[in-house]
Amino acid sequence: MKLDHIRHGVGALWDSVAEGWDRLRQTTAGALTRYRPGDKASLPTADEVDDASYIPSASWAMLGGDVFEDERRIIVRLEAPGMNKSDFDIQVQGDALVVRGEKRFERENTDGRWRVLQCAYGSFLRTVPLPAAVKDAESRATYRNGVLKVELTKLMPGKPSVTQITVH
Amino acid sequence: MTNQVVKQTGNDESRNEPALLPPVDVIEDATGITVYADLPGVPRDRLNVRVEGDTLLIDADLVLSVPQDMQASHAEVQRTHYRRAFTLSRELDPDKVGAELSQGVLRVHIPKAEHAQPRRIAVEVA
Repeated sequence: MKLDHIRHGVGALWDSVAEGWDRLRQTTAGALTRYRPGDKASLPTADEVDDASYIPSASWAMLGGDVFEDERRIIVRLEAPGMNKSDFDIQVQGDALVVRGEKRFERENTDGRWRVLQCAYGSFLRTVPLPAAVKDAESRATYRNGVLKVELTKLMPGKPSVTQITVH
Repeated sequence: MTNQVVKQTGNDESRNEPALLPPVDVIEDATGITVYADLPGVPRDRLNVRVEGDTLLIDADLVLSVPQDMQASHAEVQRTHYRRAFTLSRELDPDKVGAELSQGVLRVHIPKAEHAQPRRIAVEVA
């Protein structure tokens, strides 16, 4: 029994170290997004969760984001699992794409104990800088398998612009 | 530690390739445990949930649905494989695992074996 305790401790430590490292390598700082639960969110309180690191008022998640472009189009891909299509609010503001959303906490069983609660719930905002100006009227968004994909058409078709800056 | 129904394991032997560790929620109630895992970008046919011995294994590949000829001007997603393993306690019934995937969220339910379920004992008043 004692050995089991030790093994579990080592396993948990290894997992958290590997998780931090994996996550860091996977993403850049921009992917770290704050989720704020709304007033109506029925998130469990801290004493219903065994996870010592759980804080009900706010949580953070890595929303992996990618921007792809060719001569005509820009495609923004954002990982946001567990959303309803209608809970996205997507806007083009100047040279940035602003994605707002709310991930609701909807669980059928409430009489149990939460052993682990790592997923983030609530409202989030993510601003993605766009590499070129876009035509507002020709934007299209789809949501599949927990990934939001926004297709935008460039105002001025052309190759990705690069400005060389000399260091003096 | 006796009431611990599900344990996370490092599972070093299966870590030959680097994989993403998805965040999970785990709830235990009287009937069993339910695991929710965030797996954005994973289609149903690239998801593999299985029980090996006393270990629940989740393996999944995310698919970047973007034309190959486009140039990435900003890329945060660099790995495409998710993996996470849990050690199941003996009171769970691994033959009755149910899994469903919806908008990037996996839900796995493992019921407790019948002998471990709570039973109501009727007491008759004499």
